[in-house]
Amino acid sequence: MAERDKRDVILQVKDLNVSFRTYGGIVRAVRGVTFDLRRGETVAIVGESGSGKSVTIKAIMGILPSNATIESGEILYGGMDLTKLTEEEFHNIRGKRIGLIFQDPLSALNPIMKVGNQIMEALILSQKMSKKAARQRALELMEAVGIPDVERRFNQYPFQFSGGMRQRIVIAIALAGDPEILICDEPTTALDVTVQARILELINKIKEERHLSVIFITHDLGVVATMADRVNVMYAGKIVETGTSEEVFFEPAHPYTWALLSSMPDLETKERLFSIPGTPPNMISPPPGDAFSVRNRYALRIDFEKEPPLFKITDTHYAATWLLHPKAPRVEMPEALKTRIERMRRRAVGNE
Amino acid sequence: MLKYTLRRWGAMMLTMFIIMSLSFWIIRLMPQSIFENPEVAPEIQRLLEAEMHLDKPMWVQYYYFLRGIITERDFGRSVKLRPGMEVFKVIVSRIKPSMVLNFFSLILAIPAGIILGTIAALQRNKWPDNLISFLVVIFISVPSFVFGAVLQYLFTFKFPIFPTLYNASASSFREMFRSLTLPIIALALGPAATIARYLRGELIETLNSEFLLLARTKGLTRTQAVVRHAFRNSLVPIANTMIPMITGIMGGSLVIERIFAVPGMGGQLVESIVVGDHFLTVALLIWYSAISLITIFIVDISYGLIDPRIRIGGEK
Repeated sequence: MAERDKRDVILQVKDLNVSFRTYGGIVRAVRGVTFDLRRGETVAIVGESGSGKSVTIKAIMGILPSNATIESGEILYGGMDLTKLTEEEFHNIRGKRIGLIFQDPLSALNPIMKVGNQIMEALILSQKMSKKAARQRALELMEAVGIPDVERRFNQYPFQFSGGMRQRIVIAIALAGDPEILICDEPTTALDVTVQARILELINKIKEERHLSVIFITHDLGVVATMADRVNVMYAGKIVETGTSEEVFFEPAHPYTWALLSSMPDLETKERLFSIPGTPPNMISPPPGDAFSVRNRYALRIDFEKEPPLFKITDTHYAATWLLHPKAPRVEMPEALKTRIERMRRRAVGNE
Repeated sequence: MLKYTLRRWGAMMLTMFIIMSLSFWIIRLMPQSIFENPEVAPEIQRLLEAEMHLDKPMWVQYYYFLRGIITERDFGRSVKLRPGMEVFKVIVSRIKPSMVLNFFSLILAIPAGIILGTIAALQRNKWPDNLISFLVVIFISVPSFVFGAVLQYLFTFKFPIFPTLYNASASSFREMFRSLTLPIIALALGPAATIARYLRGELIETLNSEFLLLARTKGLTRTQAVVRHAFRNSLVPIANTMIPMITGIMGGSLVIERIFAVPGMGGQLVESIVVGDHFLTVALLIWYSAISLITIFIVDISYGLIDPRIRIGGEK
């Protein structure tokens, strides 16, 4: 743990606020997100749809839609604040320093362009590589991401590829500029379970080989366990719990994390699977206090009135819930979850 | 691609044949004798009917009709509008002004529509887009002959820059073209607006697509991403709107040709139906169908060129 802390911080998001102008009003999608990414580690951002995780990474990549504004906050990378960069300056970051893997490889590739050209394109246009060198590099990349018969595949179109193979192409495109940070936006959500495992393996492999630092966005806690060093749990545009993988999985402190872990399907649970009641709040007018309070079985009265700060649990583990306040009544996580975590812990030990 | 082209070609020829047969049967079965001229002696009428095989059963007439077209491009003779003249020659004599008019209005409409649509999409919800969208609504909803009349008023009466009517005795192409400028513009406005509207919608959709986002995350500039990834993709559905548009231009020219007194194909069709010049009517119907079919064929082929999913899918 201490050793990991010494690694230098490569990317830092500080108190980021992003809002969208819509016909319904101002949507406050990201509200004060802070996290950092250290060299060589994988940081996961977990949360359900609409929690602001994708908006956060779009802000990092500078590809927010035109009706979005960064209200405040900083994204520090390489001595620059990415929120202040002009479109031109961003071209030297996107692809070359930070690469992005999309959720849906089906729609992320241009359907009427040969995949080889889609990989080469950035090398030729923005890195001024010769066509021959770019082709060579594209073929190498395709091989590196595990595509067989690259010479033939190079001249094929996306619709001639399977879902998993397309995702490999998207990964090859993300790697083309040789970035040092790789952002994966739910890279396996659109894929079959068996293919998922192989893509995750591939991401871990290239991460090791290329010494990448990875930001991994997902709503699937099962995936997080196999990928991440540290986990940020997001809810309604805020990080509600942050810690190392072990801390968040084995000693979760926020009721939302409890709920997420309880609603994860597994093979052992015999009872009806837990589901979180209600829906995420409307972000046009987020509720005062803890945004999760209305869906929270353990909410205190103060949760409805005042926003909880991040309470420190350990040096690396923080959670934003009033339950951690010294004066709060002692509330334990539900029994079913305890046994669940016990099982996970045993399995984790067994794997090692 | 070759197989795809051949298959399209085959389908087109079959459709053409069906249209030819249908026009023949529908027009020829109408209860109207081709010769109703009381001044022509009955014997002469009968002689003429025999020469044109009109005294034989319909099936035999159909055979002669098809044989004439296929072997010697013989569509019969006009009997009322241009008595005695070969129908084929009648059409040829009328083609030039009509084609110049239709062709150039298309040449004007396509780039204008593409430019306007692109500007509107890129400047979405800003004033250039609002202005273009406003004009588009007007150009689509107001029929072309109204613009014809307005242009005539403005540019021949108020500011006499162009001649009012088609100059049939023009000595040079340039002079003829000058007299066709106003009808060309009047005819082009509607199609240009249609293209602009479709292209705007398509482009906006592609601009919001994931692959355009991917194009930008790999380090392309916005312009590079738009030109390389948005534009060509948006053309696929646009090609489809060209079919009704080209036939629309042909239909529109019926009226526009009247307003500007252009001796084109449009008036000929109406007149031939009114007076019952059956050979000419059938030939003109075939002509219009041929234009539409060729358009569809070209659009189908360009589909295949633009979109590999159609081309390669078709080869399987």
